[in-house]
Amino acid sequence: MRAHLRFCAAALATVALAGGVAACSTSGTPGSSASSTAGGPTLTVDLSSYPASLDPGLQYDTESYSVYRNIFDQLLHRNPTTEQVEPWLATSWKQDNSTTWTFDIRKGVKFSNGDPLTAADAAFSIERILTPSFGSQQEANFSAIASATGTGDTLTIKTKYPSPTLLTYLTTLSVVPEAYVKKVGNSAFNLHPVGSGPYEFTSSIPGSQVIVKRNPDYWGPKPQIASVVFRAVPDIATRVADLQSGQAQLADSMTPDSVSQLKSAGLQALTTPTERVSYLAFNTIHGGPTDNTTVRKAISEAIDYSALVNDLEKGYASRVNSVATPLNFGYPKNLPDYAYNPAQAKKLIQQAGAAGQTVIMATSPTYDPTIVQAIQANIQAVGLNVKIESTDQVTYLEKVQSPSHNWGSIRFGQWSCSCLDADGVAYPLFHTGTIWSSYSNPTFDNLVTEARETLNSNTRTSLYAQAYGILAQDVPGIGLFQIDAIYGASTKLQWKPDAQQDFFVADMKLSS
Amino acid sequence: MILSPPNATSWRRTGGARAWLPIARYLGARVGQAVIALWGVTTAVFFALRLSGNPALLLAPQNATQQEINQISQQLGLNVPVWRQYLNYLGDLLHGNLGYSYVQHEPALTLLTQRLPYTINLTLTALAITIVFGVGAGMIMALTRGGWGERLLMPLVLAGQAMPAFWTGILLILVFSVTFHWLPSSGDDSATALILPAITLASLSAATVARVTRGAVLEQLSRDYVRTARSKGAGTWRLIWRHLLRNVSVPVLTVLALETANLLGGSVVTEEIFAWPGIGQLTIQSVNDRDFPVVQAIVILAATIYIVINLVTDIVYGFIDPRIAVLSKEAG
Repeated sequence: MRAHLRFCAAALATVALAGGVAACSTSGTPGSSASSTAGGPTLTVDLSSYPASLDPGLQYDTESYSVYRNIFDQLLHRNPTTEQVEPWLATSWKQDNSTTWTFDIRKGVKFSNGDPLTAADAAFSIERILTPSFGSQQEANFSAIASATGTGDTLTIKTKYPSPTLLTYLTTLSVVPEAYVKKVGNSAFNLHPVGSGPYEFTSSIPGSQVIVKRNPDYWGPKPQIASVVFRAVPDIATRVADLQSGQAQLADSMTPDSVSQLKSAGLQALTTPTERVSYLAFNTIHGGPTDNTTVRKAISEAIDYSALVNDLEKGYASRVNSVATPLNFGYPKNLPDYAYNPAQAKKLIQQAGAAGQTVIMATSPTYDPTIVQAIQANIQAVGLNVKIESTDQVTYLEKVQSPSHNWGSIRFGQWSCSCLDADGVAYPLFHTGTIWSSYSNPTFDNLVTEARETLNSNTRTSLYAQAYGILAQDVPGIGLFQIDAIYGASTKLQWKPDAQQDFFVADMKLSS
Repeated sequence: MILSPPNATSWRRTGGARAWLPIARYLGARVGQAVIALWGVTTAVFFALRLSGNPALLLAPQNATQQEINQISQQLGLNVPVWRQYLNYLGDLLHGNLGYSYVQHEPALTLLTQRLPYTINLTLTALAITIVFGVGAGMIMALTRGGWGERLLMPLVLAGQAMPAFWTGILLILVFSVTFHWLPSSGDDSATALILPAITLASLSAATVARVTRGAVLEQLSRDYVRTARSKGAGTWRLIWRHLLRNVSVPVLTVLALETANLLGGSVVTEEIFAWPGIGQLTIQSVNDRDFPVVQAIVILAATIYIVINLVTDIVYGFIDPRIAVLSKEAG
């Protein structure tokens, strides 16, 4: 019998030591409090990753945004149908001069810890993002702001230059409680956020789920859904399986390919056009063949745009006429859509003496390789050789953002400024000397710089019309299509997603 | 755990407290080796990560300017020369500071300790499945060679070895969650949520252990002592308990130790499929985000676990078979 005992001991020792340093900490998994709360249903949402932060001053990724925007109120709101900026925490605002704005802050709003929400909290929320040591990833969005001060119910914002996109960015500003943040510190606030929004934070299991429940003292209309469990489910097949098995009622980041699967399983696919645009940008400085405008024009006529939209994106995308989407203010409505004309493209390539030359196309695995390959085939069909150079995202960024402009000839990318304004697209992508631009045209530079600092919207529209007119001539980039956001959902959920991917659970309804 | 006294016989044989001296010397040498190995791994990972690009590029919003990206780099301490960063890092490490996550603004150690219990839970459950099913199936296959048992189990074992985790996982979800609604498809909300990921993770290891066990038992079955025992009238169970288990345990233990390491590695894929919030998921996320401090902390943890498993396996050999005991050899 001893041999048997010894063997068992050995096996047990291995088992015990597999846990190594912390074998004793394997207590049962923490249970969730996801059971239905009195007075309404519980919604379970599958997000593709765990929110990087719950502190709305820090991260800006879709998943963090989806969660914390329900816990916090924003200074302003954008109407999902008209796209107009509307009052929210700020009930009204006016411009004292070209660089000074004052906002009246809604009275009687309380944070869920009981503290009243004041103009000073709003000012603190802005100043915090602008403090370099805080390390906010949203700093660039608010960098036009010189100072923000709150006295009583009035918030005063001074900008460094006249900023037409200020209100746009303030729709993304979540207001945090100054006193509470200062008392507990940034890191405790991130773990246990306190806001004034329709939902309040209940609990979280880091890496796994965040649970919020309806805020009983919310100043706005009472949401129908009583509590929400946001779960992190990275694998798309698992997110679909969760919807099918009823474990979740809503899942984000679906692909066009998954839509037919959702529909055949009796689920719904909720879609909305977004301001995200798939584009090609050319190296016009050290790009070889693409230094020549005729070659770039030829490539713009070589691409079968409708095949990209209808076959590869399965119709969950829309044609565009420039590197922007119709959702961006300043989108050049009068320009014609790109035309697919391979015969003409072939002629142009020959005219430019570029036939048979090799162009390098930079991309990364972040972007759908089937689209990149389709474009490669399109361009090769008109007489150029295309070599795809796919590197991981960081290397791709390092390469294409390098001031040496030695990254190849064409790059594939996707762009969204979350600002619904051409300023966030045309300027960073094509203005001389920005990290993304391998193009230079002083007339274009002047137009977008002027539009950036002009408040009159009619003037701005005409400035962008001219600027995009130049881009249509010079072709430093091609807008391929506007991308749809796709959510999978149970048929019990009623919700219309909007272009900003706001993800306000208060707008959703769940029937039992 | 490591310092539990050697078994009673070797204790008596070597004579009291003096026996501890060589053991301490042996352990001291092993710990010394471990520290060097850890330093090597840490250094390699530190420089490999620095070659993989600047995380500030991923952290910055798309419309950031070069100046804003530089500012982020500076905050992360990535604007100084690499050797300087390395010295800072080693200094922090000696003080037990593993650094702060670039993305989550939390100490890397906190993130690790939040996720570790999940991975341990999953790995231990998978290891238990591996031992029970792997050793069990291997025994049955060997003892029923050419018969029903082997014919039934061999296809299962081959399937377990051939199917990658991402495929097994999705298949199990489709069958047990989507079709039958018996088990949750993902998450960690209930005790039952552990079942599918543990089976997925264990399938490859259990198959490997089954094949090794089968081979080891078959080899023993042809030995003289088995014939003798059988001719003396020992039944199958007595044969297994008294004779076979002890003799097959060395190869099986070796493969189990290797498989434990594989299980820890395999949890990366399994955790991703089942949304299990363990170290594996954290690894994928941190590597994608170039969250250097977290990746470094994970590597140190993984290396430590490998080293400890190896050490323990070496010591445990001695309990099973004194002829290859690392401790008593030096002590004797």
